[in-house]
Amino acid sequence: MLVFLLLPLSLLLVSWAEASAASSVSDYHERLLLRPLPQSALLASFNFRSNASSSSFEQQNFRYFPRSLGQILQHAHTKELHLRFSLGRWDAENWGARPWGRAREGGTGVELWAWVEADTEEAANARWLTLTNALSGLFCASLNFIDSTRTIRPVMTFEPEGTHSNASMRNLHLLHGTLPHEVVCTENLTPFLKLLPCKGKAGISSLLDGHKLFDANWQTMAVDVKPVCPEDGTECILQIEQTVDMVLDIERSKRPRDNPMPRPIPTEDLVCDNSKPYHGGDSCFPLDRTSEMSWSLNKVFGRPLKGSCPLTTEDGRDSETVCINVPHEREVQERTAADLVKKEHEDGYLRCYKISPNLDFDLILPEQYLSSNLPLSHPSLHAFRSITGHGQERGGVRAILTNPSLTSPVRFVYLESLPWFMKPYLHTLRATISSSTAPLPDQYLEPQQAPNTADPIKQMYYRPAVDRHRGTHLELLLELPPASTLTLTYDFEKSLLRYTEYPPDANRGFDVAPAVIRLLSSSSSSSSSNGSSLLGASEYLRTTSLLLPLPTPDFSMPYNVIILTSTVMALAFGSIFNILVRRFVAADEAPGYGLVSLKGRIWALAQRLKARLRGKGAKDE
Amino acid sequence: MSLLSALLALRRDPRILRLPPYVSALCILIGVGWLLLLPLNEYSRQTYVSENAILPGQVHTYFGGSEHNIFRAYRHEVAGLAESSEEERVGKLGDIFRSSGLKVAAQKYEYTAAGRNTTGKNVYAILQGPRADATEAVVLIAAWRNMDGVLNQSGVALVLTLARYFKRWSVWSKDIIFLIPSDSTAGPQAWVDAYHSGHDPETIESLPLKSGALQAAVAVDYPAGPWGHRFDKLHIIYDGINGQLPNLDLFNTAVSIASGQMGIGCTIQRMWNHRDTYSERLQTMLRGMLSAGLGHATGPHSSFIPYHVDAITLQTVGDGWHDEMSLGRTVESLFRSLNNLLEHLHQSFFLYLLMHANRFVSIGTYLPSAMLVAVSFTIASIALWVQSGQPTEKATVGVWHSDEADAKEQDVTVVEQDGMTALISTAELKVVERHMLLPIAFVSAAHFLGLLPLYVFTRASATTLTTTFYAFATSTALLPALSAVALSRLFAPTSQQWALTACFSLLLLGLFLSALATLNFSLAILVGVLGSPLCLVPALITSTPSRTSVPSTSVAAGADTSSSHRTTSTGIGGSVANVTLYVLLLAASPPALLLAACHYWNANVGAVLAAAGTAWHVQGAWTGVVVCLVWWPAWFVAAVGVAAGGLGL
Repeated sequence: MLVFLLLPLSLLLVSWAEASAASSVSDYHERLLLRPLPQSALLASFNFRSNASSSSFEQQNFRYFPRSLGQILQHAHTKELHLRFSLGRWDAENWGARPWGRAREGGTGVELWAWVEADTEEAANARWLTLTNALSGLFCASLNFIDSTRTIRPVMTFEPEGTHSNASMRNLHLLHGTLPHEVVCTENLTPFLKLLPCKGKAGISSLLDGHKLFDANWQTMAVDVKPVCPEDGTECILQIEQTVDMVLDIERSKRPRDNPMPRPIPTEDLVCDNSKPYHGGDSCFPLDRTSEMSWSLNKVFGRPLKGSCPLTTEDGRDSETVCINVPHEREVQERTAADLVKKEHEDGYLRCYKISPNLDFDLILPEQYLSSNLPLSHPSLHAFRSITGHGQERGGVRAILTNPSLTSPVRFVYLESLPWFMKPYLHTLRATISSSTAPLPDQYLEPQQAPNTADPIKQMYYRPAVDRHRGTHLELLLELPPASTLTLTYDFEKSLLRYTEYPPDANRGFDVAPAVIRLLSSSSSSSSSNGSSLLGASEYLRTTSLLLPLPTPDFSMPYNVIILTSTVMALAFGSIFNILVRRFVAADEAPGYGLVSLKGRIWALAQRLKARLRGKGAKDE
Repeated sequence: MSLLSALLALRRDPRILRLPPYVSALCILIGVGWLLLLPLNEYSRQTYVSENAILPGQVHTYFGGSEHNIFRAYRHEVAGLAESSEEERVGKLGDIFRSSGLKVAAQKYEYTAAGRNTTGKNVYAILQGPRADATEAVVLIAAWRNMDGVLNQSGVALVLTLARYFKRWSVWSKDIIFLIPSDSTAGPQAWVDAYHSGHDPETIESLPLKSGALQAAVAVDYPAGPWGHRFDKLHIIYDGINGQLPNLDLFNTAVSIASGQMGIGCTIQRMWNHRDTYSERLQTMLRGMLSAGLGHATGPHSSFIPYHVDAITLQTVGDGWHDEMSLGRTVESLFRSLNNLLEHLHQSFFLYLLMHANRFVSIGTYLPSAMLVAVSFTIASIALWVQSGQPTEKATVGVWHSDEADAKEQDVTVVEQDGMTALISTAELKVVERHMLLPIAFVSAAHFLGLLPLYVFTRASATTLTTTFYAFATSTALLPALSAVALSRLFAPTSQQWALTACFSLLLLGLFLSALATLNFSLAILVGVLGSPLCLVPALITSTPSRTSVPSTSVAAGADTSSSHRTTSTGIGGSVANVTLYVLLLAASPPALLLAACHYWNANVGAVLAAAGTAWHVQGAWTGVVVCLVWWPAWFVAAVGVAAGGLGL
């Protein structure tokens, strides 16, 4: 097997985006990158990028830039915006490093961060509120639920991607909010596609189909808006980049849409291990698939690629719309009625096609036995986070971060944004480093007990939660030596919510946003840990979200409790009151008891009546 | 008011004082009788699925066809691993999971309990649900060896096949964890402890791979060999550790899918032929209560329940016509239902008694029986308290009117109030002081003494357990008598102190039992019924003449004054009665009853105690704690009282 790192490959798309940013003032580019991954998975990265000059943007003269989004940005005074919709998990063990240098993905659910221009923090908060509510409507997502409890102002984790002058930076406020429980689905894809100039009718966006996209093992949609100012001092442009990445299961995607059931394959199609002694008519030990699966764009996406979007640039590398990242020997057949231009890049590992508008295009990869695999770059950090403990009162969080590299240390920022009802005890925060002999992802938790004495926490930013107003914000700058594992643990306490604060599905538990990890470039790791060293290309990594079970009342209980307490109160009050106000005497001590008393009373009444009558009579006399 | 004062006047009525033992006995009788009513249609209910999201049996199952060929091959593979070493087995099973595209990890564990080492290695695989985000997971378990130590060949093969089959589905919104522990108790316990980081990292490895919060677990027990075995029914095992139960919805879902969708009959509590008659319902319920009361693990699922993970085991029983594919489809449908869950199972009951696969009683209906049994102890205790405050001089109850006063030649006091004068017997006005230090100290000492057998039985090795048990039984028989002698020599307790000792002991027992009834109903009622003699004993103790000056008025601890009068007249007869009582009480002692139960079920005492010790160490079952710290001390105090009465102290 061919084993070497092809890191430039993953960074290729970033550099492509950066290099061509300033090439023209108002233009539109799109590109689809296909990369077959092990275990019959296929990574499809869609990238759409359009520019608008700042003057035309200010004058609301929108051409490629979507007007709906542009006006929201202007109204909310947002200078840079990053919005992510994600679903599923990236399997770093099998699939290698993430596309786009991991900069175009978010945590599970919805993640939004933006630089908002405002004079004061209050004004920034108000504009942030406007922004989230407007985007909520635009993208049919519950972004309006990003309130103050879910908003943080990260200090080290995010840097503006665009160019902002030093003067304007002073008034820019970075706000970050997450909705880990938001389920991303087709209603978010439709508005996303509408932002595109070709609106999913032509070009690579014609492949995007909600059924396939949301059937993927992992998918993320990103919208990034940033100002880009060329070095030469010409007019700045506002760039919007929309990205859709997904990892499809080829086998699953190839199933016809009207019959998506994974029925057992016919017995005669089973690939069996004939060497097994019991192999025969009714027993079949299935063999692993050794060949590359056959697939085509048409089958995998369920619809044809309807040519290129006519608005794309005509020449240069930007015009190469579809790229496929396969080993040299992999056979790729192109099907289109028109001529097409095919170019090879990256030592032939990347084949790009320039396709013509309005004519269907298809790529067909037949079943093939390959002697070499596509070299995948390895991720430079593995992160895994889980909740420890059980019960309704306390818990703990444990994050395990492994540096698989045998030579280079990793510096990274670890950002936790916790909901207010999860109260961490900062004094229990422990970061222990243990060197792992076998830096395999399988053995995260089996490090040798060789604790490193140096404190891995270089810098810490902590902003405690305020009940019902803001969540906990914790940022740690950490350094991890080569081939070692960092275990970060802390305990937390669960709050009791008010009766009305529970969501309708309270018994599911409460989602805790994924931790964001920003890997700082290794070049800066040698320099001091001041702010400037944080600048530079950074990769991002996100853990999975957590489910926090909180003590949940039985919601029929209040009713029962009211009834029970009322009864108890009535009984207790009644009897105590009774005892307090009554005087007890022995039965026969009481004046007039039983029948005697009745008789006596009647007698007394009669006597009194008699007396009165007599008195009256006496007066009359 | 007149009624109240009439009642107050009854306070000193000797008839009232004689009543409590009867009330106690009545409470116990009603409590037990209540249980007997439960199987009736009027008191039990038909089960129903409460959680709307589950939709049991609504999906079409596709497990079949060529999957059967794969299943057979895997079953041969599993059979081939029967003799191989643990490492080899774990490696091979891991390879099969890995070839299905799952993430695989293994976990070693070691437990030391009852002087024996239990070691093993769990292997598990995680199917990362395509629509899941690692927040929730469901577990499918097939222990390598089932509860009887038989190789669970088809069960393991079925899990391997289902793992491969499930991987192809894109519907999973929760991760699915396939777990193959080495055995049915320690393995799952080690795994689930480590999953929640509640393990001891010295002996149990941490889990290298984890997923989200566990929502449910289903274990499969199908010990059919490589040539298969067609089964008749599914035996659904649902008891957890310490009598905790899974949510009834999980059980109902399994029953409704198996019987409704697949046509497989379901049975519970080893009632293989349940014709839904009263006696069978009662028997099922009592078996369930016994199992819950013992609080031991009944299957690989048991360990999950204390972590609030609802779990059941599906065990195949009998000879019939259902094959492995039916079981596979049942599991498939069950997992599709669990996959539908939006919230953790919470809708249905957690506290219930099942008497048929389709019939149950909920806690509201059955709890009063355990409470009544517990209350009987409290009543006895209150009666003793009242008696201990009675003056030793017998006073005639009643109020004298001034004109009758000179008719009696008694020591009377003139009381004047509100211009009225009353003559009241002085004895009645005397305040009797209760000397509580000794009783409290003795009762506390007895409860602390219970730690001794607890410590010994949980630490002793399996080989010495039988000897230890007999030593304990002997000392249990002798210790009360010795303690009684020692106590009377050292402190010379009065009859009032004896009464108070019994009072506090019973009060504690009643308190513990009523608290326990809400946690483990079955254990509470078991201990309550087995300990019921204790609340009658104080009434039966007959005191021989001792330090009390007037023999006929000695109300030692007895409310039954008539018997007291009768027996005290013949001191020897009282001793004989007390010795008989002591012997009877010995028969009701915890060790004697354990021995009797072992004899009845043909079990070896040593093995039972070893199992209890293992359950305590591995699973944290606190049945032993209840027996040693609640029941045994109460028995001990009662026995000391009887011994003291019998020895004429």
